[in-house]
Amino acid sequence: MKRRSWSSSGRSVPTAMVRWRSFAVNFKKAWLLMKRYPFNLLSSLLTMYLIFLGIFLGVKYLGGTSLSAVDTLEGIIVGYSLWTLSIFAFSDLSWELTNEAQMGTLEQMYLTPAGFAWAQAGYLIGDLLFFSVFEVAMIVLMMLTTHRYLHFDLVSIVPVLIFTLAPAYGIGFAVGGLALVYKRIQAFFQVVQFVLMGLLVVPVNRMPWARLLPMSEGNALLRQIMAGGRSLWQLPGQDLILLLATGIGYLALGLAAFGWAERVARRRGLLGQY
Amino acid sequence: MGARTDVALAVAGLHKKFTKRHKPPVVAVDHISVEVAYGKIVGLLGPNGAGKTTTIKCILGLMEPDGGEISVCGYDARRQRAAAMSRVAAVLEGARNIYWRLSVWENLEYFAGLNGIGGRDGALYFQQLLQRFGLEDKKDTTVLELSQGNKQKVAVACALAKRTPLVFLDEPTLGLDVETSYQLRQAIKDMVRDEGRTIVISSHDMAVVQDVCERVVIMANGRIIADDQVQNLLALFRTREYLVKLARDLTREGQEIIQEQFPQAVITSDGHDPSVRVQLINGQDIYRLIDVMRQANADIASITQEEPDLEKAFVELVRKERANGNG
Ligand SMILES: Nc1ncnc2c1ncn2[C@@H]1O[C@H](COP(=O)(O)OP(=O)(O)OP(=O)(O)O)[C@@H](O)[C@H]1O
Ligand SMILES: [Mg+2]
Repeated sequence: MKRRSWSSSGRSVPTAMVRWRSFAVNFKKAWLLMKRYPFNLLSSLLTMYLIFLGIFLGVKYLGGTSLSAVDTLEGIIVGYSLWTLSIFAFSDLSWELTNEAQMGTLEQMYLTPAGFAWAQAGYLIGDLLFFSVFEVAMIVLMMLTTHRYLHFDLVSIVPVLIFTLAPAYGIGFAVGGLALVYKRIQAFFQVVQFVLMGLLVVPVNRMPWARLLPMSEGNALLRQIMAGGRSLWQLPGQDLILLLATGIGYLALGLAAFGWAERVARRRGLLGQY
Repeated sequence: MGARTDVALAVAGLHKKFTKRHKPPVVAVDHISVEVAYGKIVGLLGPNGAGKTTTIKCILGLMEPDGGEISVCGYDARRQRAAAMSRVAAVLEGARNIYWRLSVWENLEYFAGLNGIGGRDGALYFQQLLQRFGLEDKKDTTVLELSQGNKQKVAVACALAKRTPLVFLDEPTLGLDVETSYQLRQAIKDMVRDEGRTIVISSHDMAVVQDVCERVVIMANGRIIADDQVQNLLALFRTREYLVKLARDLTREGQEIIQEQFPQAVITSDGHDPSVRVQLINGQDIYRLIDVMRQANADIASITQEEPDLEKAFVELVRKERANGNG
């Protein structure tokens, strides 16, 4: 009798609990995987710093180059940090989707009753938070190197940063989705990293339409906050609306593309086969 | 229309075709219907490409079927996905779907957590699972460092850790040595006995299936060609195949007489262990066989009913299906 009732009803776990645990274990997974291979992270941080050093020395000793003409050193630090963060956001997502599909764990994530979105969100948010800690350390290092100091008004930075990075995740979802369907397009991932850099050096002042591009508006606003010392409240309302619109818009487009890829992958049976 | 609530799994009219450009479409699953009662272990057999994995993935919603009804513990797998998914777990194709970079314990926590299982209750249960699978001392070992057999055990344990009533195991014993395969089988049988779980296990290893399953479903070319208790399938073949051992060689004439009466008989008469192997169509044929043997002047040493194993039954069924398909 007892056995039967156990089987037929299953263990009933409240939906909220399933969602919370699905989110939490993925959050934890991000941490565990990051800490298990600290050298991966450290070496990429070192590379990031060396690249920055190259840019900085170039600007300093070559002086009056085109780069310094269009940007201040503070602006370069902000832009560079945003670039590394957006590369992280993008490649974290696209590589993760590819790897998990390859390992067969993506299929397992799709089996959660909470839905794939909860599980994936847990991982992405966790990974971004952990990476941000290193990013801050990196910024401090860059400030020490250049003797230029940025404003760390977190209340202003965090919301703007979220909507600035949203398009990077949008692109990550779109490209990750393509990789699910078409496989073996990792070479393309690298191209996207340079596209992201392009997006962050577009001179928005001279090309107003460029503010509609992913991340451009947020990039400009973050410079005003971190380099210019302005707070969120001092920013023009229409700029913030544009930030929100592009942030949500590009993320939504990316998610829609991913949704399409997911349907195709389900139809062709590609979620777990590589 | 209504989902079946009295069985762990009900599939009706499931079909799935893969279409690729420049290639003829592949019918992977061809309108199959099957039900699995609670608390049973059912074997899913079939040659490579029979459609086993596709069937399982369609049930799990990892592939979109072209049509058919699927209900898991009474919940429609597509319309009530969350409810259905909270009642099913799966190990798909061997040991791949766990994190090799995480420890055994971390994997258990992760996969159980996907189904909302965790906390103190969960931990107690994971500990129990490790014991069952003989992995207690590997608790904190990174999966990467485990042997193939242990990796596979961990994958199965991760699926069981979700405590779902229905569990799919797609080739869980692939590439395992005899001992590990035995341990895994024992653990699976215990789970069914002690917890009333329902398990669908696909395998190419007939010994495994014959050992753990009461019932088998055999697929070929996307169709179910047999669905019966293992005992019945064996009985089906037991009544038919006889081996007549002879004390001395048959004469040419004798061979001809037998061959004429039983065209499919396999006669071995090369000096060592002369014998005649025959498939009898019905029970009466045994008398005819004896008569024919007497006519052929055969010196019978013994008549034994060939003890069929599942492997033989399987090969026979699949061969027939192929013949029908081609004819
Ligand atoms: N994603 C896919 N795209 C195209 N064809 C596929 C796909 N998955 C399976 N097939 C085809 O569908 C048929 C059934 O394959 P399936 O993997 O379900 O068989 P199986 O019974 O699990 O075989 P095996 O014993 O080899 O695991 C095969 O012809 C296979 O080539
Ligand atoms: Mg298979």
